[in-house]
Amino acid sequence: MVATHFIGKLRKFEKWFGIVAGVLIAVGLYTGLVTSSPDYYQGEVVRIMYIHVPFAQTAMLAYSSLFLCSIWYLWKRESVVDNACHAAAGLSLFFTAGGLLTGSIWGKPTWNAWWVWDPRLTSFAIMFLTLVGYLMLRTFLDDKEKRATFSAILAIIGFIDLPIIHFSVEWWRSLHQPLSVSTRGVSIAPDMLIPFTLMSFGVGLLFTYMLMVRTQMLYLEHLLEAKQGRLLNEGQG
Amino acid sequence: MHFFSVIRWIAWKDLLSEYRNRENISSMFFFALNVILIFSFSFSLDPVTIKEIMPGIIWVAFGFTAIIGLGKSFLIEVNNDCMEYFQTLPVPKGAIYLGKFLGNLLFMLTVEVILFPLFVLFFNLDILDQLLPLLLISAVATIGLSALGTLFSALTVQVRAREVMFPILLLPLSVPIFIGAVEATRGALSGDAFSMYSHWIELLLVFDVIFVIVSFWIFEFILDY
Repeated sequence: MVATHFIGKLRKFEKWFGIVAGVLIAVGLYTGLVTSSPDYYQGEVVRIMYIHVPFAQTAMLAYSSLFLCSIWYLWKRESVVDNACHAAAGLSLFFTAGGLLTGSIWGKPTWNAWWVWDPRLTSFAIMFLTLVGYLMLRTFLDDKEKRATFSAILAIIGFIDLPIIHFSVEWWRSLHQPLSVSTRGVSIAPDMLIPFTLMSFGVGLLFTYMLMVRTQMLYLEHLLEAKQGRLLNEGQG
Repeated sequence: MHFFSVIRWIAWKDLLSEYRNRENISSMFFFALNVILIFSFSFSLDPVTIKEIMPGIIWVAFGFTAIIGLGKSFLIEVNNDCMEYFQTLPVPKGAIYLGKFLGNLLFMLTVEVILFPLFVLFFNLDILDQLLPLLLISAVATIGLSALGTLFSALTVQVRAREVMFPILLLPLSVPIFIGAVEATRGALSGDAFSMYSHWIELLLVFDVIFVIVSFWIFEFILDY
């Protein structure tokens, strides 16, 4: 009952998230890539920021939602929540890979290296490996409940480990530029801030939309498998 | 059965069975010996290079021996159908985790204590002045490695391809242990003052405390299956 209610809500709201995300990303990309001014130091290269930073932020958002869904699953044991975990993990991997790739492309002209052992980069690389491990663990477990529980445990452990990883690498070496937008204020030109904000919200909403659609897909797959199982049992009976 | 006696008996059982069959300890020891020999063939043994690369060599050897040893920690329980017994024990399941963790920790420390003189021997290290800090670093890093390794051993023992999954899950998440241990060992081997690298030991301690507590709490969910 809870699952059908939950899926019903997702079906009802998903398209609005998709539409708003599409509009924000379209306007954000136009203002970011066409109308905003190039950076004083970095020139045109800075425009990759409008893709890279929203991807990296959304990867964090996706991993946080995986963490919250995992806790929710261990608490309530609803299979639809496990579907949401699975969906969030795949999307988190996608956005993490996107963040790493665009960061690497940005790193070459600005740091003159495709890769450096910087705290944020290393944390993201380890997050990427953890997510690959998470999805592999899911494929190697056949029992549904065991798969859901074990992968939730791994997601929680991985999430708790992230700040420690970040902290350890920060002590080890640091090169990344400080955050441009933080609680201490904004250090970014206004005509760059508008596309940047639009893209951040747009990609965030795109993730939410993808999460809603993917969760429904996985839930339907789950229902189909259950139905096939029942038919098989009836056939044998 | 009392909470603490469960911890004690499980740790004691693991150590005793390892003492009797010596299966794990011999494979770990010979693996680490191979690592030491290969590294000593590969690098020139001048004192400057040795100080630079030694912490990495030590923790590669300890890390990989940990994978061999810890990965099998719960296999013996599954093979002997002991998991069902663990599930029915009338104590918080975290006690079983703490028992296995303690057994693994003592076992790993024993292997490290045996291996350390070999590093000194093959690489001509002069560590007498720094012996206490080095033992402390080994202990705090091994606590973290055993805490995470014991949990992942229980998690992967029921998974297909567990030999592949155990290092895939353990290695990325134990990165802070390796960074902390290597940097602290580098400080100790270079003869720096303790205060110059003590922050790494503090980081390792934070990791240890967090993961022992989290694993203790989360172990119940693993043992339910």
